[in-house]
Amino acid sequence: MAVGEAKPVDKGHVKNLLNKKKGKMKLSLFLCAHCGLCAESCPLYRLHNQDPRYMPSYKVINSLGKLYKKINKVDGSLLEEMKELIFKNCVLCGRCYCPLGIDISKMIALARSVCRSQGVCGVYPYSLGAHEEDFPEALSGMGAIEEK
Amino acid sequence: MYDLVRGPLMWVAFAVFIVGFVYRAVQMFIVSKKKEKFFYPVSWAEKQSIGDYSPEEHRLKWLVSFKNSMLGNYPIVTIVTSIFHVCLFVTPIFLLGHNLFLYKAWKIRFLSLPESITDFFTLIFLLCGFFFLLRRIIVPRLRAISTFNDYFLLLITIAPFLTGYFAYHQWFDYKTMLTIHILSGEIMLMAVTFTKLGHIIFFFFNRFHISSEYGLCQGSRTW
Ligand code: HEM
Ligand code: SF4
Ligand code: SF4
Repeated sequence: MAVGEAKPVDKGHVKNLLNKKKGKMKLSLFLCAHCGLCAESCPLYRLHNQDPRYMPSYKVINSLGKLYKKINKVDGSLLEEMKELIFKNCVLCGRCYCPLGIDISKMIALARSVCRSQGVCGVYPYSLGAHEEDFPEALSGMGAIEEK
Repeated sequence: MYDLVRGPLMWVAFAVFIVGFVYRAVQMFIVSKKKEKFFYPVSWAEKQSIGDYSPEEHRLKWLVSFKNSMLGNYPIVTIVTSIFHVCLFVTPIFLLGHNLFLYKAWKIRFLSLPESITDFFTLIFLLCGFFFLLRRIIVPRLRAISTFNDYFLLLITIAPFLTGYFAYHQWFDYKTMLTIHILSGEIMLMAVTFTKLGHIIFFFFNRFHISSEYGLCQGSRTW
């Protein structure tokens, strides 16, 4: 998918959002055993032929994980990069189950909040996990593939 | 070197482990203080009581939830990881060799398993560890999220068992092997606080404050 024009980012605001939940979120990120056992619990992962990019922990590590890692230098291109992962590859249904009790959907929700606060959003039916190819007219009508 | 790992370093390792354990547990407690918004209107307990099911429906429901459980989804991994964790706990604690040291040092007698059993457990544990390594290398979704740390921590976990096995069977130089064994055990204990091995601690607390239907207390601890 095309990555859109990077928008300017209010670094202070992003940092505030992230810091508000820092305790629990950073702990969860650091605890994740990278064991991949959450994969099958995600309906989208099952729907997309076990594509690793739909695995809950993959989505968290590459969205929220990156945000905390680069907490002082979050920029538009970083948010654009993770947009697909958290808005399209996840519907925030909360079905993901981690045996260690990591609250995956809450973490993706936070990554979404951060993106949304900077105007980086997902658009239906992206948000239902659709591919561009599946809904070309629907998406073009909604400005979701304007970057193309 | 042997005296160092047997003496001061051992105390440092235990201290780091215990202080780290308490620190992380307290941190967990503080982090869970704030009540999260709960995602789902139906709690786990309520869900169990919804509906009037016939025995046949009950069976189907059970089958579906079994299929969707860890054991249903990943039968092999679930069994291997269960064995792995049991061996991880049981072997060092009930090892005759360890308990003889305890007795020599403090005259504490502790239950020990026969050496042939702990020897077997160690071997099984090593096989499970090897399985995790292979799995991480082979399975695409794991490769996608594996970092150097994941391999390194697996090594740190396996090292005490491997060197312990070598030492017990007196392969290579016994004293050197024993020194490495003790050192690797100390490193592992210390790593618990600072790495993902921390799930050792969190396992006991985590589920109380996740805010999804899998949580036990709906988004925060309620005690
Ligand atoms: C809810 C309970 C637990 C679950 C679901 C769990 C899960 C796992 C999994 C899946 C792995 C393998 C990671 C990999 O693929 O490399 C692992 C590794 C490990 N676990 Fe646990 N664990 C649990 C509790 C514990 C406890 C109580 C201990 C403490 C003795 C412990 C100690 C370890 C160690 C030392 C490793 C090896 C290091 C690694 O590869 O990450 N675990 N755990
Ligand atoms: S989120 Fe949980 S199940 Fe998924 S990889 Fe991390 S520890 Fe494993
Ligand atoms: S919340 Fe997202 S990651 Fe979790 S199961 Fe649903 S779609 Fe998958």
